[in-house]
Amino acid sequence: MKVLPPVFLLLVSCAISWAQGGGAPQPPPAVKPATEGKVWGALIFAANDAAQLTGSQEKAPKHLGVLDERLAKVFPFKHFEILGQHQQDIFREYESWVVPSRDLFLKVDSNGPAENGGVKLHLQVWREQQVLVKSDAVLRPGSPLFIGGPKWKDGRLIFVLSLERK
Amino acid sequence: MKPPSENHDLIRWLDGEMTDAERAAFEGEMKADPALAKEAEEMRSLSASLRTHLPAEMKVPHADFFNSQIQMRIAQLEMEDSRQKPESSLESIFALFRQPWLAAASAVAVVVAGFLMIGPGGTDSEHSLILSSYTPGRGVEASTYHDSAADATVLMLDGLDEVPADRKISGISVHRSETEPEVAATTLFDAAGAPLLVISRDAAGHPLFLRNHPRG
Amino acid sequence: MPAPAATDPGEVSDVDLVKRSQAGDMRAFDTLVTKYRGRIYAMTYHLIQNETEAWDLAQEAFIKAWRALPNFKLDAAFYTWLYRIAHNVTYDWLRKKKIQGDGEFDDERTEHRVAVGAEATPKGDAAPDTALRNAELGQRIQDAIAKLSPDHRQVIILREVEGLAYEEIAALVPCSLGTVMSRLFYARKKLQEILKDVYETTL
Repeated sequence: MKVLPPVFLLLVSCAISWAQGGGAPQPPPAVKPATEGKVWGALIFAANDAAQLTGSQEKAPKHLGVLDERLAKVFPFKHFEILGQHQQDIFREYESWVVPSRDLFLKVDSNGPAENGGVKLHLQVWREQQVLVKSDAVLRPGSPLFIGGPKWKDGRLIFVLSLERK
Repeated sequence: MKPPSENHDLIRWLDGEMTDAERAAFEGEMKADPALAKEAEEMRSLSASLRTHLPAEMKVPHADFFNSQIQMRIAQLEMEDSRQKPESSLESIFALFRQPWLAAASAVAVVVAGFLMIGPGGTDSEHSLILSSYTPGRGVEASTYHDSAADATVLMLDGLDEVPADRKISGISVHRSETEPEVAATTLFDAAGAPLLVISRDAAGHPLFLRNHPRG
Repeated sequence: MPAPAATDPGEVSDVDLVKRSQAGDMRAFDTLVTKYRGRIYAMTYHLIQNETEAWDLAQEAFIKAWRALPNFKLDAAFYTWLYRIAHNVTYDWLRKKKIQGDGEFDDERTEHRVAVGAEATPKGDAAPDTALRNAELGQRIQDAIAKLSPDHRQVIILREVEGLAYEEIAALVPCSLGTVMSRLFYARKKLQEILKDVYETTL
C-alpha cells in the first residue's frame, strides 16, 4: 500500500464515514488480509413458467460451463435465472460474506486448505435474520456446490457456490 | 373397464394403496364382475405365497466367518488409506478413539473421522463434500449427495418456509468488496465502483445491512 | 416393514451402537452386523438368486456402511440407511452383469436353494406331505422369481419381502409411481403364468 500523507488519510476516512451515514471516522484500510482463495456465489431462481422470471440479465462465468444444464440435472425446472452474483476472497482469519442478494446469502469461514487445491469451509446460509443451515464442507475447484433453498412462486431459489481455480 | 394389459386399481387394492372410498368402489366393482373378483383373489393368493416363501430374514451361511471377513477387509482398507497418508497414522488414531473416555467427544470424532476418511485415492478427494450440517429450523432437513451427471455436490434443504409469491426477490452484481475487520464491516461495490451494500453485525451477531443502493 | 418401529427397544440400542461405531468402535459395529446380516443377506439373495454372490454383496454393503458412517446423521433409522446402501450395491451389481451380458435372467439359474423353514425330505418319499409340498413350492417360487428381469424382481422383493409402500419403492429405485405399478402388475402376472400349475394343484 502506498503511504499517504496523514492529512489526506484523514480526509479520505472522513469521506468514507460521511458516505456511510456518519459516525466516528474509520481507520484507513489496512494491508489486505491473507486469503485462502476466491469463491463465486450466485442466487438463482429456477422456474418452469417463463412469465415468472424477473428479467435479470446476469450471466454466469464461462468456466462453469453450461450452468443451466448442470442445474437442470438436479432441479426439475426449465429456466434458471441468475438474480445476482458475487466473487469474494476467503480470508484465512476473518469470516467472509458472499452476498449475491440481500434475500439469501452466505457466511463463509475458512478452516484451512484441503487436498487437490481445495478449501475446508464452515458455511452458513442466511435468509434475512435467520440461519437456514450451518455446514462444514470441503470445496474443490471445478466441483460447485448447489444448495437447494426455499420455494418461491412456482419455482425455487438455489444458491451456487464455486471455488475458483488458483 | 381397464384393458386387461394393466390394471393398476387391482394392485393398488391388493397392496392397500387405496383410500377407503376407492376401496369401497373397487370392491363394488368386484361384486359386479366375477372375472375381476377371480383375478383379484388369484393375485392375493400369489402375494401370500410369495410372502411365506421369500423370507425377510435368512440364515447367513458361515455367519461367524462373514463377520470376521468384514472386520478383516475394513482393517485392510484402513491400512491402505494410512499408507497413502504417512503423516496421519489412521490406525493409531482409530485405536485412540476406542478409548472409553473419548465416547463423550464422539461428535468431534465423527467430524475428524470424516476428514481422515477422505483418502487421496478415492473420488471423494476430487469433489466438493459436505461433511456435516445442522439445520436449526424446526422441520428443516438437510441432505447431501454428489450428482455425477451435474458434476456438482448438492446440499438440499427441505421443509423451509416458502417465500411469499408477492415478495420481490432481487440480486446484486458484486464486483469487489472491502473488509474492515476492526469494525467488522464489509462494503460491496458494483462494476462501476459504487458501493452497493455494507454488511456488519448487530449486537446479537446477526448480519446487518447498513445501506441499500438500487442497481445502476 | 423394513425398519424397526420407533418404540422398538432394538431401535434405542441402535443409536448407541451407531454412535460408538462412528467413534471407531469395531465391536459395536460387529454387533450391528450380527443384528442385521440376516435381513441384508435375505434381500441381496432374493434380488440376485445366487448364494455366493449374495454373501459377497451383503459383506460389501456392511463395509460400505462402515466407510459411510461419518456421514450418517442419525436422522433416520440405521436399518433404513443400511438397507438403502445394500440395495444400491446389489442393484449396481445386477446392472453391471446385465451390461456385461453375463447370463440371461430369464433362463433357469443353475444354483438353487430351498427356502428357510422348509424341511428336507428324502426324495424317495412317495406321499406328498405338507413339508415336501412346502419345500417344492418354496423352490418353485424361488425359480419363478429368478426368471423375472432385475427390474421386475426388484419391485416384487421390495413390495412383498420388505413391505415398502409404492412411494418408498419409487424413491428407492428411483422411478415414477406409474412405473412401480406397471412393473408390479407385470411381475405378478408373469409369476402367475409361471406358477399356474402350482396354483391349480397345491392351493
